[in-house]
Amino acid sequence: MSTATDDSRRHRAETLRRAMAGATAITEAALRTAVAARAAGGPPVGDPYDDLARQIGDASYRVTDADVDAVREATGSDKATFEIVMSASIGAGLARWDAAARVIAEVTDAPA
Amino acid sequence: MRLPEVERGDGLRTRMLIRVISLALGARLPDAARVAFYHKGFVGTALGAWTQDAMRGLSEWSVAERELMAAMVANWNSCPFCVGAHRAIAVHGMDKAVADAALADYQTAPISDPLRATLAVLETMTLRPDELQSGHVRAALAAGVTTRQLEDAAAVAAVFNIVTRYANALGFAIPTDAEFDKAAGMMLKRGYA
Repeated sequence: MSTATDDSRRHRAETLRRAMAGATAITEAALRTAVAARAAGGPPVGDPYDDLARQIGDASYRVTDADVDAVREATGSDKATFEIVMSASIGAGLARWDAAARVIAEVTDAPA
Repeated sequence: MRLPEVERGDGLRTRMLIRVISLALGARLPDAARVAFYHKGFVGTALGAWTQDAMRGLSEWSVAERELMAAMVANWNSCPFCVGAHRAIAVHGMDKAVADAALADYQTAPISDPLRATLAVLETMTLRPDELQSGHVRAALAAGVTTRQLEDAAAVAAVFNIVTRYANALGFAIPTDAEFDKAAGMMLKRGYA
């Protein structure tokens, strides 16, 4: 059974997911959603985005100046590069939220 | 920080705001706040609202316990900025020795059984999300954790699995302990939104 609390949490997560993929950015939405999926363990994206997205998902502490500089060169601006970094981070975080929400619902929605 | 425009702000108003807050704080404004001010029309509002709700909204967990959870996620994700920032806030509501013991080894730290069981769920959620199973949740419920507490803790962990990643990727500057303490006071007063 859903509660007001988990509905509110889902709303917050979905609002963030929509913002990440929405029309208020300067990069293509398809690139942002692909980068987010890559950071969550999804399929590779094109260079130079793949290295940065994968690294942010798997081990963000290993991201290097060169990883970020390569994306900065491809996008042509700090703002677009910021969007890529944020999209990858959000993809990895929301994948964990989805996993936790699913498992909590499996247990707490199960018939007694 | 790796993107200079994020560090200095993306408009005159934001640059003035960074300067004024730094003066009021008596320290360089931490990079987390600079990110929150940058490109606000993108994800900043949605992420800020979720963070504020998770960290300061109604919950059966105290603010200090949620800040410790954030620091734990940061520890698992090797994010020194977020460990320092959220440990500094947590110790306003819990003993420093307890926070440090949890960060060193939450399994042996002098914390409650429900908090310990919840941290076990958050550790798997953070490091091995594909392995998260109903057994993890059942073990937490058996330790006295409520469903609401689990949902609240999962929200904290989700938000900080995002924040720690961009903090590392953008190369946040690491403040001194004194600067972390000053920022902690500001975060307790102003929150995250």
